[in-house]
Amino acid sequence: MILRTEKLTKKFDALTAVSSVDLRVAEGAIHAIIGPNGAGKTTLFNMLTGEIAVSAGEIYFKEKKITGFKPNQIARTGIGRSFQQNKLFQNLSVLENVRLAAHAHSEGHFNLLRHFLYYTKPAEEAWQILEELDITHIAARKAGELSHGQQRLLEVAIALAADPVLLLLDEPTSGMSPDESLRMIRLLKKIGDRLSMVLIEHNMNLVMSISASITVLQQGAVIATGSPSEIQSDEVVRRAYLGEYSR
Amino acid sequence: MFEAALGRKKPLVDREILILGALLMLMPVVLPYKTLAAEILIYALGAVAFNILLGFTGLLSFGHGALFGAGAYTTGLVLIHLGLHPLMALVCACAMGAVVALVIGLLSIRKVGIYFVMLTLALNQLAFFLVYQWKGLTGGDDGLLSVPRPDFAIFPGMKLPIQTNLQFFLFAWFVFILAILLIRRVLNSSFGRVLVAIKENPDRALAVGYNVRHYKLTAFVISGFFTGLAGGLYAMFMRMVPITAVELFTSSDFIIMSLLGGLKSLYGPIVGAVIIKITSEALSQIWARWLLVLGATFILCVLYMRGGVCGLAQSFFEKRKHAEPSK
Repeated sequence: MILRTEKLTKKFDALTAVSSVDLRVAEGAIHAIIGPNGAGKTTLFNMLTGEIAVSAGEIYFKEKKITGFKPNQIARTGIGRSFQQNKLFQNLSVLENVRLAAHAHSEGHFNLLRHFLYYTKPAEEAWQILEELDITHIAARKAGELSHGQQRLLEVAIALAADPVLLLLDEPTSGMSPDESLRMIRLLKKIGDRLSMVLIEHNMNLVMSISASITVLQQGAVIATGSPSEIQSDEVVRRAYLGEYSR
Repeated sequence: MFEAALGRKKPLVDREILILGALLMLMPVVLPYKTLAAEILIYALGAVAFNILLGFTGLLSFGHGALFGAGAYTTGLVLIHLGLHPLMALVCACAMGAVVALVIGLLSIRKVGIYFVMLTLALNQLAFFLVYQWKGLTGGDDGLLSVPRPDFAIFPGMKLPIQTNLQFFLFAWFVFILAILLIRRVLNSSFGRVLVAIKENPDRALAVGYNVRHYKLTAFVISGFFTGLAGGLYAMFMRMVPITAVELFTSSDFIIMSLLGGLKSLYGPIVGAVIIKITSEALSQIWARWLLVLGATFILCVLYMRGGVCGLAQSFFEKRKHAEPSK
């Protein structure tokens, strides 16, 4: 297992947002987390990436305990993430957004005198990612000036630039047009060939077509885990979430 | 295309720095008093140092009066009691500015937004009352009087006099240009670029792997280092240290200068300092309530000129550049 949680719990005063979640993500697999709004999916992600503190339970990445790590420490272990709401360096160019993410993993980035432009390796890595995502034509444009679909792609590009072995993607197709969604699905399939991935997504076409395994959350608790076909035929999941899609 | 998107490296000394140096060198000739020219340089340095935090890291500090005061009192004290070489006195001012910045930074950068602002403001007030109460060392309300401004040796047997107003201006100009070169180097460095990323989106900077708190604290210390240097020059310039050096008004002066000149540019606060100091000098001689004009200008600037004078000039030139091909 590349990622594993044991009885992971998050409480906000009296509200239990995530309750005793045991998550298992196999190395090289794409694992989806689905569930209705408010099921605790993003809260779970935020705990996995250190954005919020864990109330109880443990997180293991490559069998090393990472519970309580800060987000920057988690990024350095090899976990990258994208956000549900775009979090970009709005006034910087697309290339600079990706380059800064790649730069975080280069040697000696905390250097007060060496000119930023002397670090050519992160720039080359960033450009390769833009090529892979086919967005080199917008490399010089400011992130804040892009369309929503382009910004979602940039979110993924930044997450990739941090050189992760496990990628956590929070609703990568949210707000995208059908064409843009199709492009994202193709892209994620391609990335999934070389990386492990955990995906939060409401787009069931995407989830069922690329996931090897799925965890279903409802009111903070896991109600089912299994392959896409197992989840589609699970009566509890059908009633709670899938409804029409399972038929 | 890749090369074009990368950007170009600037040499340490380029046309920008040469023009800036030449324009500032003209000040003693153009301005009615040579003391005003030196005062502008000192406040401009303080404002540029302050803007490392606000313009390039996104941290609004009201604690820079304490850093300026720390540099000024340290220089005054080491010149009075230890008779140090003036350059050594300035080094001490830088060190003290950095140490006080480290203390303020450690206490305040854990918080963000309004809580950060209020903490720096409270710590500045704390520094003010400390200076006010510790009369034996600081002179209290009267300030630290009779700070010597000795000539200093560059080589054995060769002394550089800094007694007259023009001599001191030249000395301050040299220190100022050296400091600006260093600050520009830091802002163009890998560290400086990460600061801009943190200003743009601290959550994302953290998520990609940067230790945001570490970066912010270092920015605070660097800002304190150069604000302390400005304070040290101020003590030598005034030949005393008034208690106003450590007041909250000193912090607000730096804020107004940076906002008026433009936060996004290294040179914005310099432009702001020149405008504020010259306008204040001129207005104070014709109207007792001149601060009202300054206040109104500040409000107009915040409401309608968010990029400051430099931002306005930049957008003017960009519009002209875009208009040219259509002619």
